[in-house]
Amino acid sequence: MSGSFGGSFNRIGAIAINTFTEASRNRAFIGLGIAAIALVVSSMAISGLAVSDQRARVLVDFGLFAVSLLLVVISITMGVILVFKEVDRKTFYVVLTKPIRRAEVLAGKLLGLLSVLVVTLFLMGLAWVLVLVIRDVALPADLFKALILTWLQAALVTSLALLFSTFASPILSGVFTFGVFIVGTMIPVLQDLLTLRKGPLAASPAMRFLAEGTIKVVPDMTVFNVSKELILGIPVTWHYVSGAFFYCLGWSALFFALAVLIFSRRDFN
Amino acid sequence: MEYIIEVEGFKKHFRTVMTQRKVEAVKDVSFKVKPGEIFGFLGPNGAGKTTTMKAMMGLIRPTGGTIRILGGSPGQYAVMSRVGFLPEQPYFYDYLKPQELLHTFGRIFSIPRSVREKRIDELLRVVGLEDARNKTLRKFSKGMLQRIGIAQALINDPELIVLDEPLSGLDPIGRKEVIDLLASLKSQGKTVFFSSHILSDIERLCDRVVIIDKGFVKAEGTLEQLLGSGSGEKEILVGGLKDVASVELLAGVKSVEVVGSLVHRLVVENAQADEVLMSLLRAGLHIVSVSDQRISLESLFISQSGGGPAMEATI
Repeated sequence: MSGSFGGSFNRIGAIAINTFTEASRNRAFIGLGIAAIALVVSSMAISGLAVSDQRARVLVDFGLFAVSLLLVVISITMGVILVFKEVDRKTFYVVLTKPIRRAEVLAGKLLGLLSVLVVTLFLMGLAWVLVLVIRDVALPADLFKALILTWLQAALVTSLALLFSTFASPILSGVFTFGVFIVGTMIPVLQDLLTLRKGPLAASPAMRFLAEGTIKVVPDMTVFNVSKELILGIPVTWHYVSGAFFYCLGWSALFFALAVLIFSRRDFN
Repeated sequence: MEYIIEVEGFKKHFRTVMTQRKVEAVKDVSFKVKPGEIFGFLGPNGAGKTTTMKAMMGLIRPTGGTIRILGGSPGQYAVMSRVGFLPEQPYFYDYLKPQELLHTFGRIFSIPRSVREKRIDELLRVVGLEDARNKTLRKFSKGMLQRIGIAQALINDPELIVLDEPLSGLDPIGRKEVIDLLASLKSQGKTVFFSSHILSDIERLCDRVVIIDKGFVKAEGTLEQLLGSGSGEKEILVGGLKDVASVELLAGVKSVEVVGSLVHRLVVENAQADEVLMSLLRAGLHIVSVSDQRISLESLFISQSGGGPAMEATI
């Protein structure tokens, strides 16, 4: 058994490939993927409801929204069962008794699911671009960057779902992850409310404390949303994308470290 | 290395999820396994066998005591790379085909692909799954899952093989094949530690056994030590006996029973065995066999687990 970097790479790779294979052979996931592409394509119908000069805007806005939403849905639904399913079905009894660190198992599971998200994003992005081309809408200059940011958001949500799945049931993990995601999309609103001299946060010190705490412990999901920039033609720089990447990496590393801490101490009765 | 497995004063307590009540799954278990042995781990349901084996494999941490495997701690890299494990009622990734499953585990051991291919072909042949290569595991029967479980436990050519109920779910032919496989592993110098409820197989295969019940060791040793060299009685199988009543009257004969259409089984006290044998020969009867009367492993198992008296006649 090799404890070297190469050995570790092999072990993480084995788990990642297995996780990817599982998803690609899972009928529920394939169904979800088809539904995701269908939703992107359905933006053509929705754009028909808009006034003619707004159709292009709706196609861009709704398309990015659909890609982002479905990627997050896939992250949560698959992320919350990543560990639970293996514990519940006792498949971990065979894996964890091999010469592999528990952190490597989690890293492999996470990488496998992130690879699934890359493929899903590619297919959904392709569908979105096709819709825009068919509808003769000029492709936004920063479409590719917007898709990368969408994937980063999904990666962050996946690491959060992985953390919850190390100690909670899939339903609870799903509720926790979705709850944190929703709160994360409201961070700028909370920040605005904290600056106001009137309103609930100004009136109640306890509420203010809660809001300040939330801003510190919940990642800001709006960092990854550039739909406004896309529609208004505001440039999304690579500098911004790299900043978002490190933001995602920092939070994901924190969630992953916590997941490893919990998972490493766990007994498999 | 003097011992491959050393379990010393192992204890494991759990707390129930709802009431947080303390449950003592294993109270005090100690035993040692030597290199090259086939070691049987016996006990009724709930005795603590699976809990002990999980602790040996690093799946759970002991509440007390120590466990040493191959000179190291359970779960350590260097240890687990030399161990093969089959859990009770194994579950595998059912969307994979058998060779895909073995490749996955082979990659974890960093076995080069060319070596892996050869090893997988050999293992599938050994466990009799060559014809099931194109089936996914969800289409496997319980016996087939047990076979692929044994194959994955051998993927790294381990020094120590730990098997929890490896004969469960197998038909008689499958059982024989696995027993032959375990015997061949022993002949290759490997150490095999396994639990089973099928006592005749343990009796046939094992060099030494440990019997546990309610979290304690009840007996440990070689079969000779546990079952004794004899119970003070001999078993004589005799052919051609027609006058059963006169034989029953011979001094030292404790019982006579028919064990086949032509063979009777006599249980005779050791002190009178020679005289009884002479009488049978003088009567022109055919002596099939003479052996020491031992208690059976089953009888010992039942008595040690509080199920009844130990001294029962063996067949």
